[in-house]
Order: sequence, then structure tokens, then C-alpha cells
Amino acid sequence: MHGASATPDLADIERLFAARGWRVFDYQRKVWQAQARGESGLIHAPTGTGKTLAAWLGLLIDPARRDEGLSVLWITPMRALAADTQAGLQASCTDLGLDWNVELRTGDTSSHVRTRQRRNLPNALVTTPESASLLLSYADLVPAFSNLQAIVVDEWHELLGTKRGVQTELVLSRLRALSPGLRTWGVSATLGNLDEAMRALLGPKKTGRCISADLAKDIRIDTLLPDVAERFPWGGHMGLSQAPRVIEAIRAASTSLIFTNTRNQAERWYEELAKADPPLKLALHHGSLDAALRATAEDGLKQGTLDAVVATSSLDLGVDFTPVDQVIQIGGPKGIARLMQRAGRSGHRPGQLSRVVCVPTQAMEIAEFAAAREAAARGNTESRRPLTHSLDVLAQHLVTLALTRSVGADDVRREIASTHAYADLADTDWNWVLDFVMHGGSALAAYPQYHKVVEDQDGLLHVPDATIARRHRMSIGTITANPLVRIAFVHGASLGSLEESFASRLKPGDSFVFAGRRLTLVRIKDMTAQVKAGGKGTLITRWDGGKMPMSSELAEDLLRLFSGFEAGSGALRALSPLTEQDSAGERNALAPLLSIQSRWSSLPLPGALLVERTRSREGDHLFMFPFAGRSVHEGLSALIAYRLSRKQQASFVFSVNDYGFELMARELPELDEDEIRALFSPVDLDADLVASINASEMARRRFREIARISGLVFEGHPGARKTMRQVQASAGLIFDTLERYDPGNLLTKQALREALDHLLDASRLRETAQRLHAAQVTLNITERFTPMAFPLWATRVSSNQLSSEDWRTRVERMLDVLERAAGGTRGPPLDVFPLASDAAGPKPATTDTKKKRARRPRRPRMSSFLRPLS
Amino acid sequence: MRIELCGETLELHADRALHWPRRRTLIVADVHLGKGAAFRRAGLAIPSGDTRRDLARLDALIAAFSPERLLVLGDLFHAPLLESESWFADVDRFRARHVSLALEVLRGNHDRVLHRVPPGWRIDWHEGARHEPPFVFAHEPRDDDRGYGMAGHLHPVLTLRSSTDRLRMPVFWLRERHAVLPSFGGFTGGYGITPGPDERVYAVTPDGVMEIPETRTRKGSP
Repeated sequence: MHGASATPDLADIERLFAARGWRVFDYQRKVWQAQARGESGLIHAPTGTGKTLAAWLGLLIDPARRDEGLSVLWITPMRALAADTQAGLQASCTDLGLDWNVELRTGDTSSHVRTRQRRNLPNALVTTPESASLLLSYADLVPAFSNLQAIVVDEWHELLGTKRGVQTELVLSRLRALSPGLRTWGVSATLGNLDEAMRALLGPKKTGRCISADLAKDIRIDTLLPDVAERFPWGGHMGLSQAPRVIEAIRAASTSLIFTNTRNQAERWYEELAKADPPLKLALHHGSLDAALRATAEDGLKQGTLDAVVATSSLDLGVDFTPVDQVIQIGGPKGIARLMQRAGRSGHRPGQLSRVVCVPTQAMEIAEFAAAREAAARGNTESRRPLTHSLDVLAQHLVTLALTRSVGADDVRREIASTHAYADLADTDWNWVLDFVMHGGSALAAYPQYHKVVEDQDGLLHVPDATIARRHRMSIGTITANPLVRIAFVHGASLGSLEESFASRLKPGDSFVFAGRRLTLVRIKDMTAQVKAGGKGTLITRWDGGKMPMSSELAEDLLRLFSGFEAGSGALRALSPLTEQDSAGERNALAPLLSIQSRWSSLPLPGALLVERTRSREGDHLFMFPFAGRSVHEGLSALIAYRLSRKQQASFVFSVNDYGFELMARELPELDEDEIRALFSPVDLDADLVASINASEMARRRFREIARISGLVFEGHPGARKTMRQVQASAGLIFDTLERYDPGNLLTKQALREALDHLLDASRLRETAQRLHAAQVTLNITERFTPMAFPLWATRVSSNQLSSEDWRTRVERMLDVLERAAGGTRGPPLDVFPLASDAAGPKPATTDTKKKRARRPRRPRMSSFLRPLS
Repeated sequence: MRIELCGETLELHADRALHWPRRRTLIVADVHLGKGAAFRRAGLAIPSGDTRRDLARLDALIAAFSPERLLVLGDLFHAPLLESESWFADVDRFRARHVSLALEVLRGNHDRVLHRVPPGWRIDWHEGARHEPPFVFAHEPRDDDRGYGMAGHLHPVLTLRSSTDRLRMPVFWLRERHAVLPSFGGFTGGYGITPGPDERVYAVTPDGVMEIPETRTRKGSP
């Protein structure tokens, strides 16, 4: 055996694997050899194929390995993953007879451990992007980083395309500057753009090696289909009517992992499954639950003591749950890669079969599963575009580095030029960000008494105010969602946390479902909602931003699927022989729905634009189905409403989903096919888009995250709140103030750009508009809502609005509506439901939908552009 | 908009102010002068201009109503004062422009540390509530046996929602025994209210002040 300082070699690893009965994959060997040669690169492998060891062991057999000080930094996107990873890495060191200590440093690490680590760094540190960034803020650690040899970024595909990814790029650029020979390895699941992913990780100037596992994981996809005779809901997204079939499926497997698309859905399904008789052993897992509750669920999965865990994307990643032999996906998969990733959580061991059972919650989702199956069979998957030019993240990074008082502005400029995110950052933008952290903003606007970062006599940036420094360190970890309120029992036990926006609507005595229990609010105190068990209320817990948009790749596949419908025979043909057999059930279930759609209107087809127009007591409804994905539809609906509003003054209400969008107004102008095409005209598209987005205040909403990252708002944490009150303001208020007094502020401009690029996917939107401008338009006047239109109407909760009318008119009309509602006509006008008596059609208004409309509080929506400012 | 309250005629102004003609008094609440500066001191980059603009709005109201007295229902200032800050001079000039105007302030929770307020600003501070029949002025809204209360502090905002629209508006909130004024300061947020059955609500919109009838507000608010 080897002593502490001896270097193991490839043969040692092979012996270790053999002793454990593991197989060494070719790709692993390739990575280890490349690592031992000092190369950098990206590893692409499915889950359950030993990618952690692939990325790690080669660093241990490197002849140039250093055993003193911090040698390897391992960055993982999820705190929940970090502990398991750390244990795994430590175990393999021990196995190879290497005297290395691998430690953990995340937001959960206690302060005394952090302090000890700063004095005495381990050989390898497992951390998150936020904690890694925080490490860069300590002056005493700067020399230690020059010893660093390698960085591994795990699950890079998860970070790519997010601001945490950009934060990771900036951390890497700093560490490369401190340790010039530093090597970088990334680990990624399948992506449509692996090369770009690697360039973003290594920086555009570095070369690396992309090593693919070439291991096809066997995945079996089944879809739980409603009985032929059953009326399957057209709308809604809970799908609880499928519960009996899901319970059956759970009983048929040993351990199931049940994925839902939102936390709300997870809670509702947990509640429903808990009614099973005989009872199932169940647990709930989502990001808002207390860490201890989540850990219980995870342990149950690891040990196989549970029948099923209901989870959200909180369990998409990482930790290996060997006993899981079945994944159940509730609701549309929204993406090809996502369905495959989730499927891969079952049969986690190499060589085992992964099984996913798909549970559609409404009719159209059957088509989504069929399309995903087809795409997977062809090997299609989504790309993720890395972000560039995020000035908020750069501003945060600048302050972080200034805390060490060891760099000048020019050094930082040079370092960030090596990243993908800022490689072609304009000098004007750079100078603005520098001005922002030093003077508050450009010289044109006045920011008296503002000193955050100053330049000392040696040209080094530093933060003179200790309070500001401390606050900045506290805020580094906050590239997260909204301010949270803790949920805890009166006697103290914590259950988790909720968005403040929801909690603030609760009154004492209100009851709601959380963590799988019915709870009643006692009081809200110091950012904690104190609750007691029980309660009869039916309030449904609501979370913000729960909905994931369907990938445009999948949306296109969906459209292709419909082209297989034969009106004559009423059958849906398979797209390719690859899936002919497997998709038969889905196709048979879909055919009757597509028949109704084609009888009442027509089917959406590739190359054409389907438009439906319906009159109801609410007003005129215009439905358009471009099938370009939710984000593009958000932008298109605003654009079309804006262009229509120039023809005729009106207030519009929008509704979008992944297939299309609805515009509704009291009165819409008459439109023929040519006029509809003209609405998509590329002429002045960008200007109109910006005008329509300003109107619906998307930028203002987007600004919230930017304000938090760039340090324009400080939300603190429970406890610190009182002392901070005097300097707390909402991001919206700050946005308004900047717009008025500093119109040149680049962060408000970034909000607009992000709204365009990321919320609306502007480049894709332009392509789509171009395509639709030339497309054949099919305009159908329908008497009732069709299977395509109904879900849009029924889920009009996330709608934004645009109005060209004056404020007084709007208030008066709204009061009219409210007056009538108060006068006894409750709920939605009855004539907008498709006729339930139509024998050919499935029952459209399900309990599911009705419940949702009646109970669910509205999501906060973009408020109007006419917001009074003074 | 003119309204009758406790036998008095009051004018509600769309710039979030109230005029009491009989007493020639202009009433505002929650001005929060110097709020932007307090943020800048704490390292939050808020551009200057908020205080100057608020003072200009007061100038315009004073020109419109020619009041003898400006009554502030608390929170005239946002944070302890620093003479070096630029808005300090703006307030100086504001006072110089309105030499004969009396300035009375009910001390609010933000007006605590005020030893630095220059005597030249000629502010009459009132601790607690002030009884001027038929009203009782205070910073924090509460019922008072002596008369109808009038206060600020809450920054009331009403949100109206229907299936087709959503409007959020600062409001004058006239409750049974007391009224709450909207916050005057441009750099202030709002607190969503749910008006009760017998309460009157006047909303401030860009098109002027509008009454929101009682039966309707309950339905439309969150």
C-alpha cells in the first residue's frame, strides 16, 4: 500500500474498482489520463454512470499533485448535494491511501468551522458558487489560492444560462489569475450545445477536451392514460383525477419518486396520495420545506423505507437514491432533457433500466409526452445559452474583490475579459459599473455621500465602511428568489418558508396546506408565520414563479406530431417507426380530442398559424397558436395587443401557455387573415416590443433580482430586519426612482434587456414573428372554446395586461364589473364554457378547473404602466 | 375633489394632499425628506432628487391654495439629519421661499433624532395628538374621544382587480372614527388596505381623485 505522500496511479484506481466490483468505463479512463496530463475540459455523462469519480480521481493521480494547502475546489449547484459529494470524495481518498482531507463549506456551515477553515484550509473544499464567491472576499485567503491546482464544477448544465453560472465564471476568472496553472473540469448532463458549455466554463481563450460517456441509458417511458370512456379534462393542471391510477402504480413498484412541476402541485398530490387505503408510506420534498424535513424524505429514499416521495425539481439533481425503481412525472415534462434527467433518477446504477411513468393532467399533455418520447428516441435535446453582460453580477463581483483590498480596477478588467460572459464587454459598460460601485452611478446623475468602493493611494479598490462590507458579504448568497417568511409552530419547530407575498395575505385564523399538513395561522411575527396544526380552510398555498416554460424544441415536436392526424379516419399516425409501437396508447387517446379540434376549428400545423375568435359575455377572445413556447408567447401577446391598441383603444387581458396565447378585450376590431399577418410585421418590431413591454412593466418586475444582486436593495434576513428598516425599499420603488432621476442607469436598461432576452427570448421571438408574417393564417370563428383554446381561458391567472385607455375609464369600468359581481352574478359568465352536454366532447369544466378559479388567489401580476408615481 | 366631513369642507388633492379651507391649512402625511440620502449613506445607490421634487410639489400646492399653515401628520424626515447633505440646503431654500407659512409637524416615528434641525426652519413640533375641533390630528391612526381622527403612518394603497385589469392607487381612507392620508413623499412605498363596509375611499389617480364606492371596494381589494 501507499503511504500518505505516495502518489497513486491509474493501476491503483483500476485495482480499487475491481475490489469494489465496479466497472471502469472508457470515458472515465480518458478523463483520468487527461487530468494527469494537466489538461482542462468538460465531462458529459448521464447520471448513474460514475461521473463524480471520473472528475475526481484523475486529480489524485496527477504527478504534480500538491498535498499542502487548498489544492482542489469542487463547486456544486446545490447545497443538498454538497454533503454527499464531500463524503464520496473523502472516501475515495481513503480508499486510495491518500491522506487528504475533503471538507464542506456552504451556507449551512457553522461559523466556527468557517473560521477554522480560513486558518487551516483542507486539501479539497466542496462548496457552492455563492460560498466560493464569498471566499474571494477574504484578504487573508488571497495567498492561499495561489496553491490551487484544479476546480471541478459539478452539474455545470444546471448553472449554465443562469446568473449563478455567471457568478461561477467570475470566480473562475479570479482564481485563474491567482493560480495561473489552474485546471478546470466541468461535469454536465446532455445539452444541445456542449461545445458552448465548455467555452463558457473554460473561458473563450482556453482550449479543453470534451469527453463524452457514450453510454446510452435504457429508459422506459409509460404514460398513464385515461380510460377511453372517461371524460378527460381539457384544462387545469392538478390532474388529481388520475390519483387512483398513480396509487396503483406506486403499489406495483418498490420505491417511487414522484415529480411535480410546482410546489403547489406537490402539496396537493401529497395530500391526495395520503388518502390511499391501505395507506402508503409517503414523504414530501420541495425547496420551501425545512432542511430537516427534506433530510427525512431523502433518508427514506436512500434506505428504501418509503413507498414514494412527492418532490419538485428539488430532487432533480444529485444524490443517488439506489432503491428508487420508478419515477412518476405528474404534468407535462416541459423539456426533453428534463424528462430524461428525471427518468434517470430511477435505476441509478450503471446498466440498470430507468423507468418513468408519465401522468398527464390535462388532455394536451398526452401530446407532450408523445412528442418527448419521439424527441428522445431521435436523440434531440435542448440547448442552454450562457448569459452575457450581466452588469448586476459584475457589480457584485467588483465589491467582493474590493473587500480584499488587493486588486486595482485594471486587474479586474483584465481578469473578466477572460470569461465568456464579459469577453466583449464594452468599455463604456465597464466604466459605468466601476462608477456604479464607486460613485453610485454615472457622473450625470448625482449620488452625494455615496461611498461604497473607493480607490486607495496605491490604486487598490477597497470598501472603507465596515457595515457596508458586512452587509455585502451577507448579500452575496442572495441570487435567490423572493423574501421569505419562515413557517413554524408556535412552540418553535420549523416547517420551512414561504414567499412573503403569499404570507402577507394571510390573516390569523386562515388555514392553508403546507408541508403536507393543514395549518392555521396564529400570527406573523419577525418574519416568522407562527402556525398551529389543523384547520378547515381551503386556502391553497401559492408560490411565485413556479411555472417552468416548455422548451421550444419540445413545442416544435408537438406541432410535428399533430401533422400525423388523418381527418378521414380520425386516427393519429406515428411520426416515425422509432416510436410507432410505444406511442400507440398516447396516439389513440389523443385522436378523439384532435377530432373535436379539427371539427370545431382546425388543427395547428407546421408552417401555418391557427387563429380562433370567440365572442363571450366577457368580450371578444382572440386565440393564436404559434407553438413557440411560453416565453415567446408572452412577448408576442404583448406585441399584438400593443399593435391592436393602436387600431382601437382598449384594455386587453392576456393569457399564455406553451402552445399559444389569448387576447381578450370588451371589443376587438374586425380582422381578416391579411390583417392578422400584418400584426406580426417585422417593421418596427423591436421598438413596438419595447413599447409594449414598458407598458406591461416587465422590466420593472425583472429589476427585482438585479437590484438584489447589484446591492441596490438589501433584504437582510429575519432578525436583522428591524435595524435595517430605514434603508429598505421595494425594488419597484427604486426602479421608479432611478428611471426618474438617473435615466442613464445601465441596471434599469439591463432589466429591459433581460426582460427581452430571457423572459421573452427576443431573438426567437423575432424569428417567430418573421415566420408568422409569411405564414398561412387560418382564421376560424368558433362558437365555443376549442380543446386548444379552453386551457388558455381556464388558466388566465398569470395574465398581464396592457391598456391604451385612460385611468378614469378603467377604474369606472372595473367598478361596473365589481358592482355587477356584488349584485349576484358570481363567478365567470356561464356562457363561456363549451357546452358540457356535447356528447362528442369530453367534459370541459372539471372540478379541477373550477376549484382553481374559485380558490386560488391571483398571482401578483404586472401592474399597469399608468401607475401613479406622485 | 371637495368632500364634506364632520361638517367641514375639505379638498382632496391628487398630489396626495388635503386642504382645509376654513383653517387655511394644507395637510400632508409621511413626506420622508432625505430618504434617498439615508440610502446613499448606507451604500445603496439611490440618485438624489427625491427630496427636491417633493419640495417642489409642496411649492405648487402652496401656490394653489395659499395656506397660512402647513400641517404635517408625522414623518416629515426619514432619518437623522446631516448638515453636509445636499437636500439640507433645499429645505433651507424652501423655508426661505415661504417665510410667512407656519409649519407644524406631529412627531412621527421617523422624526426621532432631530436635534440637528436648524431653528431657521421654524418648525413647531407637536408630541402626540393635537385636537383642532372637529378633528384630532396624530401620526398613527387611532380613534380619539375628542373628535374625528386624522393621521398618516400607514401609506394606504388600494388595489382593484378584475379579470381584465389591475390598478394600484394611493388612497385617502376615511374610516368610521378616523381618516388615513396617503403618503406624500415620492420615494415611499404603500401598504395594501382592505376597506370595511362603511368606509369611504378616495383614490389618487393620474386623472385626479376618484371616489371608490363602498360596496365595490370590498369585492375588489385583495
